[in-house]
Amino acid sequence: MNALLAELIKLKRSLSWPVVVLLPLALVVSAVVNTLVSGQPLEDGWATLWLRSLVFGGLFPLALGVGTLASLVWRVEHRGNNWNVLMSGPTPTWRIVVAKGIVVAGLSAAMQVLLHLAVLVMGEVLGLPGGMPVAYLGISALIMIACVPLAVLQSGLSMVLRSFAAPIAVALVGSGISIMLLMAGLDAALVSPYGLFSRTTQLGTGTFLDDGSTSAIDVVMILSLSVGLTAGLLAATTWFINRRDTHA
Amino acid sequence: MSYIVTTENLTKRYRDRTVVDGVDLRVPTGCVYGFLGPNGAGKSTTLKMVLSLIRPTSGAVQVLGQPMTRQTRRDLLGRIGSLIEAPPGYAHLTGAENMRLVQRLLGLEDAQVEHAVRTVRMNDQMDKKVGHYSLGMKQRLGIAMALARRPELLVLDEPSNGLDPAGIEEMRELLRGLAEDGVTVMVSSHLLGEIDKTATVLGILSGGRMIFQGTRDELFAASTPDVLLDCSAPERAQAVLSRIGPATLEGSAVRLAGPGNRAVAGAVAALVGDGIGVHGVRRDEQTLEDVFAELTSGGGL
Ligand SMILES: Nc1ncnc2c1ncn2[C@@H]1O[C@H](COP(=O)(O)OP(=O)(O)O)[C@@H](O)[C@H]1O
Ligand SMILES: [Mg+2]
Repeated sequence: MNALLAELIKLKRSLSWPVVVLLPLALVVSAVVNTLVSGQPLEDGWATLWLRSLVFGGLFPLALGVGTLASLVWRVEHRGNNWNVLMSGPTPTWRIVVAKGIVVAGLSAAMQVLLHLAVLVMGEVLGLPGGMPVAYLGISALIMIACVPLAVLQSGLSMVLRSFAAPIAVALVGSGISIMLLMAGLDAALVSPYGLFSRTTQLGTGTFLDDGSTSAIDVVMILSLSVGLTAGLLAATTWFINRRDTHA
Repeated sequence: MSYIVTTENLTKRYRDRTVVDGVDLRVPTGCVYGFLGPNGAGKSTTLKMVLSLIRPTSGAVQVLGQPMTRQTRRDLLGRIGSLIEAPPGYAHLTGAENMRLVQRLLGLEDAQVEHAVRTVRMNDQMDKKVGHYSLGMKQRLGIAMALARRPELLVLDEPSNGLDPAGIEEMRELLRGLAEDGVTVMVSSHLLGEIDKTATVLGILSGGRMIFQGTRDELFAASTPDVLLDCSAPERAQAVLSRIGPATLEGSAVRLAGPGNRAVAGAVAALVGDGIGVHGVRRDEQTLEDVFAELTSGGGL
C-alpha cells in the first residue's frame, strides 16, 4: 500500500495523462473518419461505431498505448540513480512490481473509461438510433480486467529492458502474432496477454472468434485467464529482478 | 571492537576480469570509514555488493551482524541509507514531492523528513523541481532521502563528486555531524583530501585489492618517509648514493626514497668515506597525500 501511494505521487505532471486522454479520442475520431472516407455508413448504428472504435483499437493501437504508458511510468526509474534507490530500499521487490502493475493497469482502465465515454458522446452527436446498448458497460468492464495482464506484462518488460521503445515494439509484434492466431481461429492466442486483450475487445461483435453472443463460458474464461496470467507474470518479473544485478 | 560491515574474501568477476579481488572489509561501528582508491579501483562495485545491489562472484557480506543476501537484503536495507554513484530524484517532481514519496514509501513521520531536509540545509529549495537543481543540490537531496529513515549505517559513494570547494567542506561537516549523532558512515572517494580530515578509519583499494585498512596513524606508521641529507657537495653525493639506491638532488640536499634506518646509516658512512661533509640528516615531512600516492602507484606496503 505504501509503495502504491508513493507511485501516485510520481504520476503528477506525468506524460502518461496525455496518452490516456488522446488515444481514446483518436480511436473514435478515426472510426468516424474511416466511415466518412469509405462511404460505408454505420449500418448497425451503435454496434458499428463500437466495432470500428473498440475492435480496431484492440487489434494493436490500445496495446501500443498500454506499452507506451508502461514505458513512461518506468522511464523515470531508469534515470539517474533512481533504480539503485528502488533496489536498495526496504520495499520488497514484489511490492514494487505489483504497485507499478497497478499503476499501469489503472491508467489503462482510465483509458478504457474515456474510450467508452468517447463512443457514447460520438454516437449521440451522430444521432445514432436508440441509446448505447447497456451490455457495452459490462464489456468495457471485462476489457479493463483483460487489460491487467497486458499492463503487467508491459510494465515488466519496461522494467527489465530499460528501454522506452523496445517494449512497445514487443507489444506490436505480440499483437500481430495474436491477431494472426485469432484470425486462424486458434484459441491458443488467448494464453498471450495480447491475444486475450484483443479477444475481449471483440466480445459481442461477431468478429474473429466471437459469434456475436457473449456466453457465461466466455466471461469465465476471460476472467480466469486474466487472473492466472496476472499472477504468473507478477511472479516471473519479481523472480527475474531478484536474481539480477543492478546495471552499472 | 564491533564491526557494522564485514566482508570475507569478497570478489566480483566480470567475464575473466576480476574487478574486486578478495576484499576483507572491517568497518567499526560508529566510525567514519573513508574508502579510498583511484578511479576504477572497484569502490562502487564493492559498495554495491555491500548493499546487495549486485551479487558477489564469491565471498560474503555481513551487515549489522547478519549476512547480506538477496533473501535478507530488504529487511536490512531499512536500516541502511545509501547514495551510489549518481544522485537520485525524480526530475519532474519538486524536492518536497520527492521527500513525500520517500516518506510514504517508508512510512515515516513528518518530523523525520523535516529533520533530514534541515540536516542537508535544503529547507529553502523544496518547492523547486529537482530537474532544475544544481548537482550539489541533487546530491544533498539524495542524502536527505537516505537520511530520512534514520539509518544506522550510511553508505555514500563519492558524495563530493562535482561539488565546489565550499560544497565539499559542507559535506565534510555533514559527515562529522552524522558521526557525532552515532551514525556509522562509509564514504568513498578517489581524492584523499576530500575525506582525509573526516575519516577516522581508512580503507585503500587499488586494482580491486585492499592495500591498506586501519587508522590514519597506522597508515603513517606503515610507510617509511624519504630521508634528506644536507651535505657539502650535493652533486657528488648524489653520484655516490646512486650506487646504493635511488637518490635525487634537491637543492643542497640529496633525497633517498623511503630507506630504512640501516640504509640511512650506510649512506652517511659512504658519504663521509668519500670525504663529503654531512651536516644534516632528516626524515621528510610526509602528508597523507604522499602516502596515498605512494601506495596506489607502487601497490602495497
Ligand atoms: N557491469 C560491469 N561489467 C564489466 N565491468 C565493470 C562493470 N562494472 C564495473 N566494471 C569495471 O570494474 C572496475 C571497477 O569499477 P568501479 O567499482 O566503478 O570503480 P570505482 O568506483 O572505484 O571507480 C572498472 O574498471 C569498471 O570498468
Ligand atoms: Mg565509483
